[in-house]
Amino acid sequence: MTAATQVADRGSAAPNGTDRLPGRALLRVGPVRVQIRRRSVLVAAALTGLLAVAMVLSLSLGTPYVAPADVLRALAGTGTAYDLVVLDLRLPRLVLAAVAGAAFGVAGTLIQSVARNPLASPDVIGITQGAGLAATVALTSGAAAVVVGPAALAGGLVAAAVVFALGARHGLAAQRFVLAGVAVAFALRALIEVVMLTADPIDGLRAQIWLIGTLAGRGWTETAWIAGTLLLLLPVLAWAGWALNSTALDDDTARGIGLRPVARRIGLAGTGVIAAAMVTAQVGAVDFVALVAPQVARRLVRAERPPLLCAALLGALLLVLADLAGRRLFAPTQLPAGVLTAAIGGPYLLYLLLRGRRRPS
Amino acid sequence: MLSTRDLVAGYQERTVLDGLDLDLPADAFTVIVGPNACGKSTLLRTMARLLTPRRGTVLLDGAAIRELPTREVARRLGVLPQSPLVPEGVTVADLVGRGRQPYQRWWRQWSEQDGAAVDRAMRLADVADLADRPVDTLSGGQRQRVWIAMTLAQDTEALLLDEPTTFLDLAHQVEVLDLLHRLRAERGRTVVAVLHDLNQAARYADHLIAMRAGAVVAAGPPRAILTADLIREVFGLDCVVVPCPVTGAPLVVPALTSPTLAAAAGSPATGSPGAVPLAGENTLAGVYPSEGI
Repeated sequence: MTAATQVADRGSAAPNGTDRLPGRALLRVGPVRVQIRRRSVLVAAALTGLLAVAMVLSLSLGTPYVAPADVLRALAGTGTAYDLVVLDLRLPRLVLAAVAGAAFGVAGTLIQSVARNPLASPDVIGITQGAGLAATVALTSGAAAVVVGPAALAGGLVAAAVVFALGARHGLAAQRFVLAGVAVAFALRALIEVVMLTADPIDGLRAQIWLIGTLAGRGWTETAWIAGTLLLLLPVLAWAGWALNSTALDDDTARGIGLRPVARRIGLAGTGVIAAAMVTAQVGAVDFVALVAPQVARRLVRAERPPLLCAALLGALLLVLADLAGRRLFAPTQLPAGVLTAAIGGPYLLYLLLRGRRRPS
Repeated sequence: MLSTRDLVAGYQERTVLDGLDLDLPADAFTVIVGPNACGKSTLLRTMARLLTPRRGTVLLDGAAIRELPTREVARRLGVLPQSPLVPEGVTVADLVGRGRQPYQRWWRQWSEQDGAAVDRAMRLADVADLADRPVDTLSGGQRQRVWIAMTLAQDTEALLLDEPTTFLDLAHQVEVLDLLHRLRAERGRTVVAVLHDLNQAARYADHLIAMRAGAVVAAGPPRAILTADLIREVFGLDCVVVPCPVTGAPLVVPALTSPTLAAAAGSPATGSPGAVPLAGENTLAGVYPSEGI
């Protein structure tokens, strides 16, 4: 009887075939078994397609106009009359836009998830401003140009350390953390103003452009720094895609299922801070991508926390589009990408928020 | 299976438990009761290694719990904290699936055993029908069953629950406690819960622990230890203890202490046990039928 019951028990355990959770697909690569949300596969595929189209468009539009077919031919290396324009002038800047946007998306996802707060993004909690202050000081004090990037990186990391020290006493999920970040951001912004107003006007202008964030005149070197950082962080990011699942749980519950929430938060948020400081150091204080990309991605995937890969793709798409719009919208006047990221991302997030309210689920 | 030795624990400057030695019986439903701030939750949280003791040890099957890897502990000991944060938009199956965390790694995220354990846990806690519903849209009783299902998916021998019935209406309280009792009776799990309601504690517990000011005042089967004297000592309240008409377990009824209520009820108020017959002898263990409840 016991055996029969056990068989029946096992038989009835299978009906919904739970070799995975609902809405998930199981990806098997050798011994590796990874669960992915089906919806995030679709969203990621769609975003990749859109990104490819946007990138070809960005290489094509401008003066001179290059037909998409010629863009593809140039990329394939068959040698066209447009190689110089496409490969040497437009491509480096475009790839930087995509890589930087992805890094902003990753940084925003990590920090927002750990803090369980969409406002806990590097451009709101002072990391960007810390980088900005250091860069402003470097740009207005006559330091060599090569110093600006490293100074900004250090500034971002120091600002993050201050915010975490001030705000993390009751855990990063407490409102206190975001409030401390906002306060530090405002204080740093005030210091930036002081430095700018007391500086030589020409230096001040250069600092101003850096602070808005631009991709103009930048390319492979900056790309290499950001991509190198992301590559170094790749093992952590592979783990993060899984570890982020538990950030929605409170600490007691997380400990109960055998996790170490504090160590986990430090690892995830630390990774986000490094990515944010590095990308800001390379392209300047581009606002809003790190804030909006994770939130839009989260709503597209309909998950309880921002999805890492989709947020990276969306960040890339957003910055590529912002840079394209900045180049073409008021041509020949060029607007820095940082001006347009908020103009494009903001309304779309608002649209998603309003749509979400009408249809509560 | 769970014991404490010379346990000192507390929060900031406040020491709540000061040198506590305790042994919890295996395969029993243990209920910890006591007045507010008596240290019952602190004890549970320390035993569940959610709180680090200042001194002393918690032993899990004889081994110091602090020295065991937390994942291994999570395979042997499930914990339901007092008011867990409900993640926004997470479905029931998803949340219950989190209980499989101690068996998973990022490169090995899901197996057939995980699926079977989640199915089993959801059926046991009667939430299988809710599998695709977001947890934040459920009622309090359903939510609590989902949390219990999550800890059940952990497949642990022991389950610690901190006030699992708080914020639930009476029907849901009974539902949750019935489930816990069934886990003990049918599945042989060790269940330890902090409860506020003495009558529920008496009804369900095999082993009752009464605490006051960080110390254990009495421990044993409810029918043996739950007397008016104990309640006066632990809660500072005069009570009548009578056999429960349904289960025969001790039923605690507070004595009349309010003069206005006494006037309305037409009987003299009393602060002393003399005026109302206290069923002192009735609470002796031998008076109750010995078969289980």
